[in-house]
Amino acid sequence: MAAFLNIVIVGLLLGGIYGLVSMGLNLIFGVVRIVNFAQGELVMLGMYGAYLSWFLLGLDPYVSALVVVPCLFVLGVIIQRFVLQPLQNEPFMQIFATFGLLILFQNAVLAITRGTGYSVHSELSRIVISVGDINVNLSRLIVLATVIVVAIGANWFLHSTMYGKAVRAVTQDRRSARLMGINVELAFMLTFGVGAALAGLAGVLLAPIYTLSPQIGGNFILAAFAVVVLGGLGSVWGAFFGGFIIGLIEAFAGYYLSPELKHAIWFLVFIAVLIVRPGGLFGIAGAEEVGLREQD
Amino acid sequence: MNKTDIQAMPAGLAGAGAGGTARPKVTTFATELGRIAAIGLFFAVCLFLFRSDPFILNMMAYTFLFAALSTSWNIIGGFGGQFSLGHGVFFAIGAYTTANLYFHWQVSPWLSLIPGMILASIVAVAVSWPTFRLKGPFFAIATLALNEVAFVLATYFDSVTGGPRGMLLPFKAGLVNMVFTSRLPYAIIMVGFLLISLVVAAYVLRGRLGYYLQAVHLDEDAARAAGIDVLKVKLTGMAISAALTGIGGALFAMYLRFVDPPTVLNIQDIGVKFLLIALIGGVGTLYGPLLGALLIIPLESYLRATLGGTIPGINLLILGGLLVLFALFMRRGIFGALQGAWERYRGARS
Repeated sequence: MAAFLNIVIVGLLLGGIYGLVSMGLNLIFGVVRIVNFAQGELVMLGMYGAYLSWFLLGLDPYVSALVVVPCLFVLGVIIQRFVLQPLQNEPFMQIFATFGLLILFQNAVLAITRGTGYSVHSELSRIVISVGDINVNLSRLIVLATVIVVAIGANWFLHSTMYGKAVRAVTQDRRSARLMGINVELAFMLTFGVGAALAGLAGVLLAPIYTLSPQIGGNFILAAFAVVVLGGLGSVWGAFFGGFIIGLIEAFAGYYLSPELKHAIWFLVFIAVLIVRPGGLFGIAGAEEVGLREQD
Repeated sequence: MNKTDIQAMPAGLAGAGAGGTARPKVTTFATELGRIAAIGLFFAVCLFLFRSDPFILNMMAYTFLFAALSTSWNIIGGFGGQFSLGHGVFFAIGAYTTANLYFHWQVSPWLSLIPGMILASIVAVAVSWPTFRLKGPFFAIATLALNEVAFVLATYFDSVTGGPRGMLLPFKAGLVNMVFTSRLPYAIIMVGFLLISLVVAAYVLRGRLGYYLQAVHLDEDAARAAGIDVLKVKLTGMAISAALTGIGGALFAMYLRFVDPPTVLNIQDIGVKFLLIALIGGVGTLYGPLLGALLIIPLESYLRATLGGTIPGINLLILGGLLVLFALFMRRGIFGALQGAWERYRGARS
């Protein structure tokens, strides 16, 4: 029973990480309708940002979020404006472009760091909370709390503010939204910026947990894809619950089958969901079947 | 028909719509065979000229191999518009099949090309069946995940694959073993593979299947309405593409005489490179992938040789940048740009 409970806790904490990483990806997909293959690399940049702030300014990783998150917001706006906006009606070229960014960012960091692994320490990450037999690292708990706050915040923002309603209008019908006086390009730029900022936030919060490497984005992007396909592309709650489902699957598969096979299990779940319920559990029905509808 | 539609069209059909003045220029399979023979002759002369320079021969072997692999990817990815990021899996299947048969039973790699091809096709059809209902980026995600799963499985089942340590194939020189002391025979084999892939691609492109694939690429619903069995066409294209990719994997394994998951299932160095080369040369054109490989592989080996020691990842850094730039400014690749320039020149003269 203790083992079972432990696996559930591990799964939920892992789910928090995956959910947080998926939030930005899902927001970008839901609004801009672009599948950003470089999202994992934005998380990676966030992690290195935390390292850099610690190295240069001596900031604790949790404080460095104040610097890193705005930087990634700006990066996201630049990517959307100069790379993706010209490709708005070119879904195939979007795949090439975002994959090109993935390779570019990853190898730029590799070239700069020469492949040295870094780790970032925070006073907070040394604290371990013990309840009975279960030990939980505080840094993972912070991730879990953050993903809950982000999910609630995103939901509130999209449904209760004028700007959020404008974003949802753009999501539903670009042309009508434009006729209603919404600046669609600006909405896309800001959304992509927020999506990138969320990736940066995830990176900062994960920096004390993982050893930094240029390839680390690859671990997150596949998990994030599994999460969003499972939860439903474009749904905030989909990413939230999808993260926990994938986290629990990974924890159980890792314990009862083999830690090496967890990715294979994801893929089976991924394929099964696509066959049984192609829209995901909370998603926009049929988005992956009809492809991304061209709108202008 | 608006502007974006023309850009998205496979180049074989693009002539008909662009400008209106250009004649629809469709060559026959026989014409293409002649061109491919000329290409073969040209490369034969190149090989003869550089027959004693191992560095150049090595580069040419890789160039021809990747040209052939990108041409194979182009059959389903370019003609059919199914942007697979998972062709590394079929490549790995070819590599591991040949490596195992050679390692354990001393089967000649020439013979084991056939089971490698068949196995790659079977796996391709089996995994494409569910994933072909996905479109565009979703198909790309699913195939990316497939590559990752193959990596995990290849590392896990070490009785078949040697696991993370990989398989080192014994050096027993001889034509039967496809192991040679010089690099020249390898380069000749790669040219042969390139010519075979070009002939197959030309045959597909200029045959019924090619037109079906292009129709599916342009508009799947319209193709279905016109009576095309879309799933069957996609699966056939994928099976042919995967079979050729399997051959490429086998040749790669025999050339390196070493197979391990980080080499054959590397998403950036193998899986994505096929479509990167195709994009830079010209997606959906017959000779685009060849052109792309002739540019990219020598550039990459040059960068790796000169700067790779001091700046790791520099070759991929530049390739990533090129990928973004081509997606933004040269969507039809070099071949498409040259074709456009030629048509404008002809248009200005007439």
